[in-house]
Amino acid sequence: MKKLCAISLLLVCLLCGCTESVPAEREIFAMDTLMTLRVWGDDTLVSDAVSEINRLDALLSVTNENSEIFALNRDGEAELSADTYDLLVKAIAVSRRTDGAFDPTVYPLVVAWGFTKDEQHVPTQEALDAARSLVGYERLLNRLDVTCVSFDGRIDLGGIAKGYTAQRIVDFLRSKGVETAFLSLGGNVQTLGSKPDGEAWVVGIADPDRPSQAIGCLRFSGSLALVTSGGYQRYFDENGVRYHHILDPKTGYPADSGLASVTVLAHDGALADGLSTALFVMGMEKATALWRESDDFEAVFLTEDGGIFVTEGAASLLRDCEFTVIER
Amino acid sequence: MKTRTWILLFTALAAVCLLCSYFIFFGGTSGTTATVASDGVTVMTLDLSADGEYRIVSDYGVNTIRVADGRVSVVYADCPTQDCVRHAPSNSGAPIVCLPNRLVITFSSSEEFDAIIG
Repeated sequence: MKKLCAISLLLVCLLCGCTESVPAEREIFAMDTLMTLRVWGDDTLVSDAVSEINRLDALLSVTNENSEIFALNRDGEAELSADTYDLLVKAIAVSRRTDGAFDPTVYPLVVAWGFTKDEQHVPTQEALDAARSLVGYERLLNRLDVTCVSFDGRIDLGGIAKGYTAQRIVDFLRSKGVETAFLSLGGNVQTLGSKPDGEAWVVGIADPDRPSQAIGCLRFSGSLALVTSGGYQRYFDENGVRYHHILDPKTGYPADSGLASVTVLAHDGALADGLSTALFVMGMEKATALWRESDDFEAVFLTEDGGIFVTEGAASLLRDCEFTVIER
Repeated sequence: MKTRTWILLFTALAAVCLLCSYFIFFGGTSGTTATVASDGVTVMTLDLSADGEYRIVSDYGVNTIRVADGRVSVVYADCPTQDCVRHAPSNSGAPIVCLPNRLVITFSSSEEFDAIIG
């Protein structure tokens, strides 16, 4: 009888152990993308995380008429909450670091190309010049005040907001004692801790020619943010020429850097997000130079001619493809 | 009598444990399937070995999904972007997503990846 009790208890414990290895999962639509949250912990924490994502979306959206960014763009000045201000400062830091290759003031150009309303077209030179005159993060530097920001251009934090949000959610979950979580916010992945079963996280990098399939995968354990920016993600064809959505703030045209995509790996989600756009615009030579003088990110470059180049810190994580290692 | 009740109780419990363990470990490894979710709620599981066409209607819009030759495609969407319709027929890899209509089709064979980014 005692043996039977012991066996039963053992089975119950085993079963409990199994259920703990199954994450609470939620799929939501926010920030104009599909988001998947997997949290190895209490389901209510997933609900709290979803609420936080929706709250940040409502603050940061460039199209939501009730957002702080919309108010700033409409009125030329706005009182920003600590969250919006914090992200704006982070965005400008990435701009300074990349010499404006990432620029949160690029929005007039995005509008001129029609990428905001799915009415993509090549703008006239006049429209392009008018938009370019409003672009430049330097114009924002002297206009930042903690309580009120005034600016006659237009700001879009969409190029960094998802990464920032992923970081905020991971920080929140960690503060609640969660040891393992996996977030996929559109093209942004952020992990917290390692899988309970000890297996590695496996994140595929989309093949630019067949984006639903992976060209290779990154296998790793622990906490990391990974973000991919690629010209194939959104584009239109006009008069036989393909125009993608990642605009070079300096030229006003889609970045023509010879890259098909850039994947950035970093410990900070906002940094990974902003840098992925910036490195794509900069091209491999300038991006590699920035990497050599930095110690807080790694990158995987896919070139338009099919090459795969990987900074040496990421090379040990990349599998299932042939690549060239970029050495420091 | 009392002992027999206990034995029956624990035997039943053990059977439930084993059954649950079986489904947890082996529940998702049958043939290739695709799961269709509308606004985060699973509405259909497609067996990719059986051809068919399915109309999904939600508060956000209408999509028609086709299963043919072991692959899934979206053949109609009343959304403005049409990204899902342009998505090549697929049976693996990244999900097919119709953002405006909040429709997501995921593949059981994609479980080797936690995600595909790009």
